[in-house]
Amino acid sequence: MTVIDSPPEEITVAPEAPTKGTNDLARRVGSWVVAYLGALAVFGAFMALKGVNPFVAYRDMFDSTLMNSASLSEVLIKAAPFLLAALAVAVPARGGLVNLGGEGQIVMGGIAAAGVALGLEGKVASGLVMVAMLVGAMVAGALWAALAGVLRVGAGINEAISTLLLNYIAIDVLLYLISGPWKDSAGFGQLASKPLADETRLPTFGSDGRIHLGVFIAMAAAVGIWLLLRSTSWGFQLRVAGGNGEAARRAGLPVAKLLLSGLITGGAMAGLAGAIHFAGVEGQLRPGMTFGFGYIGFLASWLAGHHPIRIAGAALLLGAIAVAGDSLQIDAGLPAASVNVLMAFVLFAVLGKKPRLAGASR
Amino acid sequence: MSIATLEPSADRTKQSPSIIEVRGLTKRFGDLVATGDVDFDVRSGEVHSLLGENGAGKSTLMKLLYGVYQPDAGEILVDGVVHRLDSPADARALGIGMVFQDLRLIPAFTVAENIALSLPGGGFRYRRQAVERQILDAGAELGFSVDPKALVRHLSIGERQRVEILKVLMSGARLVILDEPTSVLAPQEVDGLFTAIRSLRAKGLAVVIITHKLHETRAIADRLSILRAGRMVGSGIDPTTVDDRALISAMVGREVPPLPVERSDPPADRPAALRVTGVHVRGDGGNTALHDIHLEVKAGEVMGVAGVAGSGQRELYEAVLGLRPLHTGDIHIAAVEMAKSDPGAALALGAVGIPEDPISDAVVPGLDVTEHLALSNLSSLRKGLGIDWARARELVAELDRQIGLRMVAHDRTVADLSGGNVQRVMLTRAFGVDCTLLVAAYPSRGLDVATTRRTQELLLAQREAGAGVLFISEDLDELMELSDQIAVLHNGHLAGVVTPGEVDRYAIGQLMLGGSE
Repeated sequence: MTVIDSPPEEITVAPEAPTKGTNDLARRVGSWVVAYLGALAVFGAFMALKGVNPFVAYRDMFDSTLMNSASLSEVLIKAAPFLLAALAVAVPARGGLVNLGGEGQIVMGGIAAAGVALGLEGKVASGLVMVAMLVGAMVAGALWAALAGVLRVGAGINEAISTLLLNYIAIDVLLYLISGPWKDSAGFGQLASKPLADETRLPTFGSDGRIHLGVFIAMAAAVGIWLLLRSTSWGFQLRVAGGNGEAARRAGLPVAKLLLSGLITGGAMAGLAGAIHFAGVEGQLRPGMTFGFGYIGFLASWLAGHHPIRIAGAALLLGAIAVAGDSLQIDAGLPAASVNVLMAFVLFAVLGKKPRLAGASR
Repeated sequence: MSIATLEPSADRTKQSPSIIEVRGLTKRFGDLVATGDVDFDVRSGEVHSLLGENGAGKSTLMKLLYGVYQPDAGEILVDGVVHRLDSPADARALGIGMVFQDLRLIPAFTVAENIALSLPGGGFRYRRQAVERQILDAGAELGFSVDPKALVRHLSIGERQRVEILKVLMSGARLVILDEPTSVLAPQEVDGLFTAIRSLRAKGLAVVIITHKLHETRAIADRLSILRAGRMVGSGIDPTTVDDRALISAMVGREVPPLPVERSDPPADRPAALRVTGVHVRGDGGNTALHDIHLEVKAGEVMGVAGVAGSGQRELYEAVLGLRPLHTGDIHIAAVEMAKSDPGAALALGAVGIPEDPISDAVVPGLDVTEHLALSNLSSLRKGLGIDWARARELVAELDRQIGLRMVAHDRTVADLSGGNVQRVMLTRAFGVDCTLLVAAYPSRGLDVATTRRTQELLLAQREAGAGVLFISEDLDELMELSDQIAVLHNGHLAGVVTPGEVDRYAIGQLMLGGSE
């Protein structure tokens, strides 16, 4: 440290305009409300075009999701894998990486959980099987993401492309397994793996016995990732690497390792999503079992500015929209996929409101 | 002394009419008054020097005259008539031309093509031969030799500057504004520029030259004006009536203490803090950017690095700090060879850098001052898996006090700060680390005079503390003042190592331009 005399008096702090006030709470809340109402209005127009009264449809959607405990449980169960899939996007995003491979990492997680169950069921205690399923799924998701990570730091191949392409491979692996080696012989020709034994399914809670352990695992993961990013030296370094890779390199940070570890951590979260969906809801592998979770998670992470706690809120919102989609189909006669249109409008509205830089928020 | 005693000059241009005159010109950016109530005039047939520190408002004033900005108050008179200048096109139509500091020529185009782009009434067709003849004629008239067929990327910076001036003149300018034109030139090129400016003056044109170098003002200017913190503190002064001290205190608002002249000689038997042996380095384009460089910086020595912009300074900085792989040769820091180019390894050996371009190479969006400084102290701030931010804040407060460069509030986001305040953060960070080798690239860029002086003191303090200092600068005066020796780069070659006391600036300029010692 250089110390010479006392600092000279004549050096003054250079004038600096105050930061533009984005902290005005009322305006911030206002702009959120406008964004969401805008998305609802556009989707309402879409429904009106299809001959559905949007006011009635929105009331039905609201009633069917939030007004009874059974559908509230349903929202939580839907939201849990969304939340984990979104964390799979948020962690790499801190390092400036775009993980479009949540879908494939979820599938690999599901496959690993199924594989563990096939190998261990009946041989060890069911609690142990469950733990092994969860851990195995995290490892599988992490490895699947690590493939793209190694390609990125080793050969400079864009991770957005490679993770996306790995999705298709993962789905093909799933199809191969359930139509070949792991095919359920008692499945009446349906492509599916052997169902999980009841005692190795994730335990459930609540009055209707539908909320499974995975919901709590997902919430704990969100808090854990939040702490990891916010309070550890690793999280800080990842943020530096994502904010300005050259600055990180010049500060002597191990940039390649940081990016790789960010992608691996994300992949583990996606793998976990695959495991809880497999062991908590589906009980067997089947084609399309995770259809779109990875992409909805991507949406949730961007909606929430890649902030783990806000992601939990976004996942709940998207979970509610997904459940409402059922009512849309039943009550309004629109295809269930119409809710994807609503989700897209919400995303556009929020992204249009304020473009967020990856890794910019703390 | 107070500026009120600086009298407007009664010089030979007094009879000439003003081409341009401004009254009460004010421009605000938010709360910041960039220029406040400025009066200023330029007459035909004069060279008018506009002096001021970085951030004094010189460029803002000139951009107001050139129509880039519009004033919040005040008026601009051209040939005695009030005009609104809504765009540079308006200014050019009135005969006002500007040559920016960052030259705006297209490197892949020829001189003629570049000039044709800005000629008025060019129409759709490019009449190559006509334009080329015009350029030769205009060049001959002004005593410039310019080859219209030459590709701009083959020209030196000085030649490019002359093309810019020619371009401005050929599009009909009677008043040429030159924004810090000498900052990128070798002394010989400065002489060439001044010869060109004198021939413009002889033709009855007016030239405004923005600068903060007094000896250049004295060499060329008929009158001078001084801006300080957006206010005109002296307007239209005859340079022969004031001395340098008065000018500096007018620019700075107080007297600036001189650097200590007495310095300990670096003992000859000191170990080398940096030894560069036979280093070849490739540039970004795959070309060889450094050729067979041999250089030794002893502990307790300041080795200046001079050279025309783009002579290999950036590549040298990056090679020494392990940021750019060596093609051949090796680099020792404190007698330890850097096994491979790795910034972490260079840091571990005690090599610290002050980057040339902090925004792209050191500033992380969203991070505040404390976080930027913590980044270079992560190992000492570790607390379990986390970072001891409370201690980081204390450390930064302590550093700011000791280094004395007065950073902005430590919770401000660095990416939002102005260049000068960003630079203070970079400097405080670099000076706050114990180092064996300090590699400083243009450390005083964007700083005011007092802060520059403090920065120079801090560089010398590192030298006293026994660090080797590799000091890259484009300001020969600063290099001569601070360096024990100066290594001169020309086109990626080490053209020579000279001792400031033994040679003059022209000898260094000769080396910068590729001549022999």
